[in-house]
Formats: sequence, C-alpha cells, structure tokens
Amino acid sequence: MNRLVSMTVNGEARELAVAPNRTLLDALRNEGSLTGTKKGCDVGDCGACTVIMDGRPVNACLVLAIEAEGATIETIEGLQPSYDQPHLLQQKFMEHGGAQCGFCTPGIIMMAKALLDENPDPSEDEIRFALAGNICRCTGYTKIIDAVRATAEELRKAGTL
Amino acid sequence: MNTYERIDRDLSDRDFTVVGKSVKRSDTLEKVTGTARYAGDVALPGMLHAKMKRSNVAHARIRSIDTSKALALKGVKAVLTHQDVPRVLHAGSPHPRSASVTRDQYILDDRVRYWGEGVAAVAAVSEEIAERAVALIEVEYEPLPGLFTIEAASEPGAPPIHENGLDRNHVLPPVFVTRGDVDKGFAEADLILEREYDLGRPTPAYMEPNVCVSQWDGNGKLTMWTSTQSAFMVRGTLAEVLGVPLNKVRVVVDHMGGGFGAKQDLFQNEFLCALLARQTGRPVRMEFSRKETFLGGRSRHPGKIWLKQGFTKDGRIVAREARVTFNSGAYGSHGPGVTNVGTAALTSLYRCENVRLEGRCIYTNSPIAGAFRGYGVVQTYYALDLMMDEAAEKLGFDPAEFKLMNAVREGDIAPSGHPIVGHGLGDCIRRVMEETNWHELRRREKPESVKRRGIGIGCEMHGSSAYPGIKEQGNAIVKMNEDGTVTLITGTAGLGTGAHTALSQIVAEELGVPFEAVSVVQGDTDIVPWDIGAFASHTTYLGGRAAQLAAADVRRQVLEHAAPLLQAEPADLAIRDGFVVVTSGSNRSIRLSEAVGPKRGMPAMQLVGVGTYMPTKSYSFAAHFAEVEVDTETGEVAVLEVVPVHEIGRVIHPIAAAGQIEGGIQQGIGHTLSEDYVIDLTDGRSLNPSFVDYKMPLSMDMPSIRTIILETAPDPGGPYGAKGVGEDPIIAIGPAIANAIYDAIGVRFHHYPITPEQVLNALKSKANETRQ
Repeated sequence: MNRLVSMTVNGEARELAVAPNRTLLDALRNEGSLTGTKKGCDVGDCGACTVIMDGRPVNACLVLAIEAEGATIETIEGLQPSYDQPHLLQQKFMEHGGAQCGFCTPGIIMMAKALLDENPDPSEDEIRFALAGNICRCTGYTKIIDAVRATAEELRKAGTL
Repeated sequence: MNTYERIDRDLSDRDFTVVGKSVKRSDTLEKVTGTARYAGDVALPGMLHAKMKRSNVAHARIRSIDTSKALALKGVKAVLTHQDVPRVLHAGSPHPRSASVTRDQYILDDRVRYWGEGVAAVAAVSEEIAERAVALIEVEYEPLPGLFTIEAASEPGAPPIHENGLDRNHVLPPVFVTRGDVDKGFAEADLILEREYDLGRPTPAYMEPNVCVSQWDGNGKLTMWTSTQSAFMVRGTLAEVLGVPLNKVRVVVDHMGGGFGAKQDLFQNEFLCALLARQTGRPVRMEFSRKETFLGGRSRHPGKIWLKQGFTKDGRIVAREARVTFNSGAYGSHGPGVTNVGTAALTSLYRCENVRLEGRCIYTNSPIAGAFRGYGVVQTYYALDLMMDEAAEKLGFDPAEFKLMNAVREGDIAPSGHPIVGHGLGDCIRRVMEETNWHELRRREKPESVKRRGIGIGCEMHGSSAYPGIKEQGNAIVKMNEDGTVTLITGTAGLGTGAHTALSQIVAEELGVPFEAVSVVQGDTDIVPWDIGAFASHTTYLGGRAAQLAAADVRRQVLEHAAPLLQAEPADLAIRDGFVVVTSGSNRSIRLSEAVGPKRGMPAMQLVGVGTYMPTKSYSFAAHFAEVEVDTETGEVAVLEVVPVHEIGRVIHPIAAAGQIEGGIQQGIGHTLSEDYVIDLTDGRSLNPSFVDYKMPLSMDMPSIRTIILETAPDPGGPYGAKGVGEDPIIAIGPAIANAIYDAIGVRFHHYPITPEQVLNALKSKANETRQ
C-alpha cells in the first residue's frame, strides 16, 4: 500500500506516493523523476546516491522514503543557482576533469558540498576523509580532490560560501 | 600538489590551436548537473521490471523448473525459462572479423556452468514483485562435478564443461609463438631464472550496474537502451539470436557508467529483456543489483605463468620460455583474444631474440573472465618485469638501468609483427629516473624500523588497437552547417574517457574552427556510422583518425567553394579561426559562414565528409615509479607515491589523458594489493560479491600521483601522431609496487594480490631462515 510522503526537494514541496519499504533513493528516482542521483549498490557501500537531508549528507539508499517525511532534501539537480549557471563545485569538476564516466559524480559533488558547508577550508586529508564512502573507479581521485580544493580556494577568495 | 601534467613536446612540428589543450569536456556539464541520461534512467509509460533467477549451484543439469507459483503472483506478467527462448549458440563477445570468437553460449541453457548463471527471468509491474516471483521459481538440479581450477579442468579425462568443446576443456587450441633458437640461447646463458607466477581474479567493478530497457514498436522493431562499449555488436548479436534483420534493432547508449573492457560482452539480460518486452507488449527494464553485477559480470583472467629466462653476465637476455595458462571461467568470452595478446606480449618489452611461448585458456566452473583493461598483458608483463628486477640484482645491475639496457627500441619487432616506432620505452625509463632522483633514492639509508620504505620501477607497452587479432574499422561523418559550425557523427562510444571531446578537438583542429563550434552526435545505431566499439585503447587512435579524415574531406570541399569567392586556387587557401584565408601574397579572407552559407538565389551548401580508417598497430609505453611503506607488524602495504611516465605520441587533451593514467593506477594498485574476487573451491560459490568484501583502493588509500606525459614517438597512423593510453597504466603499476615491496622488506612475491597476511607470513619465514 503506497503512502504519501511530503518533503521539500530542491526548494520545492513534493508529495511522493511510495510503499513503506521503499527507499528515499527509489522515491527520488522513480516517483520524483530525479534520476541524477545514482544507484550503484543500493546497500550503502558506494555513495553514488548521496543527497543532503536536513543539512547532512546521507546515502539515500539507506533512508526509507517515509523517514524523509517533513525533511528538506537537496539533490544534484538543485545545485545550480540558475539553468545557465552551474554551481562553483560543478564548474570546478568540469575544469579539473573531476568527472570521467560521471556515475559517481552527483554523489561526490553532494558530499563535497556537505563538506564545504561545514568546513570551508579543508585540508587534502580532510577532503579524502570526507569522500571515504564515495567510490570512484575512473579517476584515482586526484582530479576530484583538485576540484574540491579549487572550489574551496575560490570561495575563500570571494569571501562567501 | 596532488597531480599535474607536464608535457615534453620534443617533436612539435606545428602549432596547434585546439589539439593539446585541456578544453572543457563536452560531456561533463551533463554529468556534473545530473542531467546525463544513462540506460537505467530511461523510464517509459507502462514499463515493466524484470529480474533474473540465478543458479545456486556451479555445475548441474536442470532437471525441471516450476514457474507456476511465480506466474500466479499478482503483478507478474511473464516468466521465461530455457524452454521458452530461442536456442541459438552465440558468442559472448562477438567481435566481428575476429578469428577467435567462441560460440558457446545460449540465452538460457538446460545446464548451468557457474554459480550465479541466469536460469530464468520474470517481468512484473514492479521490481519488488519481480524479485518475489524469482524467489518462487523452483529449480531442480542434477549436480555435475565442479571443476574450479585450471588443473582440475585440464587433467586428462576431465569431464567436458562444453559438449562440443576441445579436449581437456581448452577454450582454443594452444597458442605457440617461437622466435630464434631458445635452446641455443639457454646454452649461452650465465644465469637462468625459472619461476611460476600466480595471478588472482580482479574485476572491473564499474560503478554502473548492468542495465537495459527494451521496447518494441508496432512495426516489430526493437529499441534497446543499454550500458555497452560496443553498441553495434549488441545490435548484431540481438538480431542474430532473435532472428530479426539489423534494421529492426536499434541500440542506444547516451552515457555509460564505466566498462573498462568488460562491457563488450552480452550478459544474458539483453536477450531476456527484449524477449520479455516482446511477449508482454510493454517496455521492460532489467537492472542488475551490485551482487548480480559481480556474479554475472566479467573478471580479468586468473592464471599461472611459468617463465624461464637466460641472461648473460653483461646483462643481455638470451632466452625466454613461458607457459601461460588462463582460467576462462564457464564461457569463452575474450579467452582467445586474451590468450593470444597476453602470450605474444612476452616476445617484447625487454629485447630477446630467442623466445618459445605457449598460451592456453581453460574452461572452469567459475565466474566468466572477459575483457578487462590490460587484456592478458597485465598478467604476463607482471611476471616478466618482476623477473627482470630479480635478474638485475643477481647480475649486479641497478634494476632501472637493467630495464633501460634491455628496453625495446625503434625497429624491433613488436608482438603484432610490426616494427616499433621510436624509443618510447627508453625515454620513459630515463625520465622516471631523472624525475625521482632514482639513484639517490636507491642509496638512501634504510633504518630497521617497523615501517619500511622501498622503491620500484615497472614498465609496459601496449598496442593502440586490437590488430592483428581483429581488423578494426572506425567511421565518422562530419557535416558543416551554413553558419560554419560543425556536427560530428561518430560511432565511437563514450565510456567516460572523454573520447568525444578528443574527437571534437581533432575535427576543430582539422577544420580551423573553435572547439565550441563542433557538436557530437553519438550513441544510436540507427544514426551513427558502424563502429567496432570502444576498447583496445583505440578510440582516439582509430575513431579520432576517422574523424580527422572526415573533417579533411569537408575542409577540401570548403576550400573549393571558397576559391572563386576569393579569386584564388584552393591550394592557396586555409581555414583559420573560422575564416577562409588566402595564404600566399594577399590577406584576403571571408567568414566560413559566407563561404558555405546561402547566397542570393542559392541555398546553403551541404558539406558532408566521410572518413573510414582501418588501422594497423602502434604501441604506447610507460615506466612507473612507486614508493611503498610496508608495516612489518600488520603486513599492510601503503603506496606513498606514484610517478607514471607515459609516451603516447601526441596528447589531444592533457587532463583527460592524465585522468586515464591516474584511474588505471587506482585499479592497478587494487589488483596488486587487495582486489580479488574469490570463489569457494569446494562448491564454486562467490565469496565476496559486494563492495564491502571486494576491497578497492578509495580516496584514503590513493597516493599522490605525479603524471608525466611524453610525446617523443608519435605514430604515423594516429591523428596528429596520437596513440592510446587507456590500458597502459594498469599494466605498469603492478610490477612497480611488487618491486618496491622487495626493496622495502627483501621478499620477492610471485603473485597478486599481495595481501597483508602473506606479507606477515613471508616476513616470519624470512626471520626463521635468518635464525637458522
């Protein structure tokens, strides 16, 4: 039996009809048509489904959709300030080659955003630690870390986050 | 600083405007914004969800399958077993024109040959109901003896895993390669080394699980969205097995989430998804779980390599003999190709005139080995490079100098039979030594502490095409629009390497237009020209060259049209920055859009160029430096730094090329130190089909990497001299690490992965030996 779950997704009030045993990941991808969030393992091992829930990064595959009742969810689709302007993190991932196949990229960018929201000046070790639960199989992480560092630097220069 | 690129451009014969620049990759905006569409993102009205029933035995005949309970479940629309599907023997990886395909698979068979093989499929209104229905299918098996190792399966009298297979479960007749006189060589040797190397079972573990969506239209035409590196091979095999002509199958791949070679195969799902869609009259989606992606996926070939070499005191290799035996798993897949390529590779890298090689590939009741980055060469060069390190020490040479002395050079005959172009390998070894202060580091004091450091160098070379095993072909169509912008229509698939960006750069360079003026149409077999698929490190080399030829064809047409307008001969014209310019004795020019656009009373010119390229072979080279730290209390090996030096002819996109190198190093560190997909040797069950139990190096494990790219041996066959880079890094890093471990703790391992437990045991035995 489906239940209606109300949540704010990327600033928009949504009501999604989901079975009580379905995950937030399935609800976002199937009922919410937000397929930018990826399913790499469905058991919390890979981080491809990372979204920000009430300000904290979560594996959307480990959250039941009904647990998100009343929650505020940010996904990769909500990151751009406007349609023709990517978020700074997105720009830096493009410049530094932080995405190859791109499947882990939305999750990694959301995790990086959660990190920079908390810690605007992370060391390389702190970035590596923050991304420890996000598997990337293409890049060796070098260019991902370059992109996150470059974002942090630019944000500091601009004095905003 | 984590990484940088520095390019030695020793052979700059011209100034480039787009090639060699790290332009913004044309596919990444979609990827970073979450709008890139992967096969699993396709949702169609009325779509059903399919799941596969997988065997829980490794080798058995199916006595009966009872699907009645599954069919009775509300929401189930169709169930297929071996009794309901076409029985057509087909190749798992059907490379057209390849002499060595192995036709040994059915969509579903009345027999299973490995644990986890698909035996039935269900389509239902939801994935959850499909899963429940799969659990309700009852299969009765008649067990057959499980042959899990190459030894058991290739014993005289071993029962055949395939009815019409060769004797002793050989996938192909043994491969023999002989050059010179090996016996004479050994007779001249001052030192003979003989070792056996044992190689584990890493898997590509791409992030996107296998997935496809099928839909038939009212005219009996199938459209399939799937995650594949070789859309035209999927099309061809689907058509053949389902008995429909090619124009009734359309395969679409917008983006794919990694493949690393393995996604050249078909995985039962494509056929079952298509058949379920045809039977139900509704679109069907079938997505593997991560566990299924392990179970039904493809691994690198595990195997054993017996290697014997003779050396002279002055450091030459006078004889090389090897027996390479690969474990193919339950089906042939890429076994023939991997065996041929991996075995023949041992003729080269380090010069030796007398070689005698034998390669075998054996069916076993274990997971299917397929194509995986490095394609047999990861295994054989691991053995070869490790033995070079050992020989250097025994003969009193520095290992890097010894490898440099013996490095293949210009004019030597490559494994493919072609003469090698340039001195790429020597250049890489010299550069890596300079860059790391190799000799100084070697002289460094090594304190007897708990954590011990060591350094090593590993080398490799790899072909930028599958020639001569496969006669490849790349095709491209280039159109110039009336405003001077360009559309490239390419068959080249995008695995995520940035291939389409590189191809666009080549087209822009050739046509004298900015990178942004080129857009790409790709990934639809109904639209793009035929392509063999993205593999063998050949996309830039092959697809790039085809695109260059097509663009050159358009340029010729543009200049012909512009000539009367500029009152000049086409030979005196060039295209620069979007203008057609007169190059001699005048500075007259017109905009491209004026040259090709509509004029009074005349429509615009339709300029279309077609390029077809059939390459032979080129080789790329690499030498990797690795520094490791071995914890003598835990046995753990940490890789502290890697300096990869690659010679790839011409760099089209430095950041993308470096990204290939760094990602390959990540996977190579994995198979050398931790990654091994293990089966239980009593029943063939997979023991670690998950990301928690299959250990890959992640952000905390990855060392700093200083990537250096050389352009010292451009290949005349590649676009602007470019060669491949995708597979090279994963081959060189393994021996660099194993050699560094020896330098750290004085133990030579002859296998991978080298696990902490084995390091500890080896240190213990070494301590015992010293005591005695």
